[in-house]
Formats: sequence, C-alpha cells, structure tokens
Amino acid sequence: MAVLKINGKEKDFDGSLPATLSELLIELKVDAATVVAEVDGEIIEREKFGSFSLKEGQSIELVRFVPGG
Amino acid sequence: MVSIAEKLVNATVGVAGLGGLGSVVAECLLRSGIGKLIIADFDAVDKSNLNRQRYFADQVGKLKVEAAKENLLRINPKAVIESYNQKITAENAPRIFAEATVVAECLDEAEQKQMLVETILTKTDKAVVSASGIAGFGDSNSIETRRMSDKLIVCGDFESGIDNNKIVTAGRVGIVACHQANAIVELIVYP
Repeated sequence: MAVLKINGKEKDFDGSLPATLSELLIELKVDAATVVAEVDGEIIEREKFGSFSLKEGQSIELVRFVPGG
Repeated sequence: MVSIAEKLVNATVGVAGLGGLGSVVAECLLRSGIGKLIIADFDAVDKSNLNRQRYFADQVGKLKVEAAKENLLRINPKAVIESYNQKITAENAPRIFAEATVVAECLDEAEQKQMLVETILTKTDKAVVSASGIAGFGDSNSIETRRMSDKLIVCGDFESGIDNNKIVTAGRVGIVACHQANAIVELIVYP
C-alpha cells in the first residue's frame, strides 16, 4: 500500500509513493509554479517542494491557479 | 456588542491587482462599508480594459491605482484608500499589506497568484481570498467559493484560464470578484 489523501480523495500509488512533493506534481502533470501545497495542514513553500519527503497516509491539499484576473 | 457596520468600517482590506477582479472587488468592499482599502497595481488603464474593468474612457492612460482611488472616493469620500503603484513581490507584499487583516488576490498570472498566496500564508497571519478560473462566459453556476483552509479561500471555477484562448467577459469575471468580496465581508463579520 502506498496511499496519499489528495484534495480529500485517497490515491493509491501501487506500492511506489512519489518520494517528494515535486515528484508527486510531476506524476500528476501539474506545473509546480502554479500550485500552493498544504501537507497535513501546513503550507509547504514552493522552493521546498523538491526536498519535502512524502510519507504514507499524509493528507495533501493542492490549490492550482489558472491565469486570469 | 459591535455591530456589523462597525466591524466593516473598522476593517482594513488589501486588494492586490486592480484589473477585472480587483477593480470590482475594491468597489464592492467599499460599497459594503469597509473603512480602509490598501490597493496595489503597477499598470495603467488601457482602452482594452474597459470591457470589464471598472474604469472610464476618460481615465485611459492613468495609473490604475490613481483611477481606482478617484472612483472609490467618488462612491465614499470618507473611505481611506492607501495606494501603491508597484508590482507586488514576495518581498514587498507583507509590508504593503501590513495593516490589512485580509488580502484579496486579484493578480493575472498563475505564478503571481501562487507567489502572493504562499507569501501571505507563510509570512503573515492574514487571510487571503484568491481567484482561479474566471475566463469565458456563461456557466455561472460552475463558479464557487471554496474554503481551502483556515486562512485561504479560493473563488472561481478552478479551470477556465485565459491561456486557452478564452475571452474574459465582464459578467463572468465579475461573478468571481463578487464571490471574493462576499467572502471577505463574511470573514470580517465572522472572523
């Protein structure tokens, strides 16, 4: 099992959890420059995505911004 | 007990960006009775803005902060409007909006939105009400207000970016802006 809760939904990574937030975003095909990430209630700054290790069972909120204003 | 009107008149709200979102958010907040606004934008009013942004033809060429301030004070001459003709950065945002309890993120580029929301949430104790997905027309009911966390509310349809050759129309971007202003009033009345 390698499960993360992403925006309220459980996602199973079939035994291979992405190692970091950056890897998760690559897997989800989301541009990191447009995302605010919260892990277990704590905002993780974008410059730390690459060094932030993911662990089984974490709850991740990804807020993706699209341009326009 | 402090009345709703008193809470609003004693509040200071930041508006970052004065385009299709910000010019509307600022106007709604002011008409709702917010006592002080801190507005920031680096741009000038262009003729092409008039189809959705709350400026007038005789204001083309004027700095948006000046045009907005002029219009807002015509609505309520007693309001306090502090303006910054600056591009907002991670460095200057906490200083510009120091006095505000809530900041409306009304910027254009996705990376800028990300930068401001992250900065407000990690470098200050303020709430931020942001927007994502404002482009196109129709489909009004796909626009929603989502509370993402204690300090973050995002309004929009979460997918309609201006990057897919979508046009921006006054009605649809205005709906998102009104969602933002409405959420801010609620945050101030019920913190």
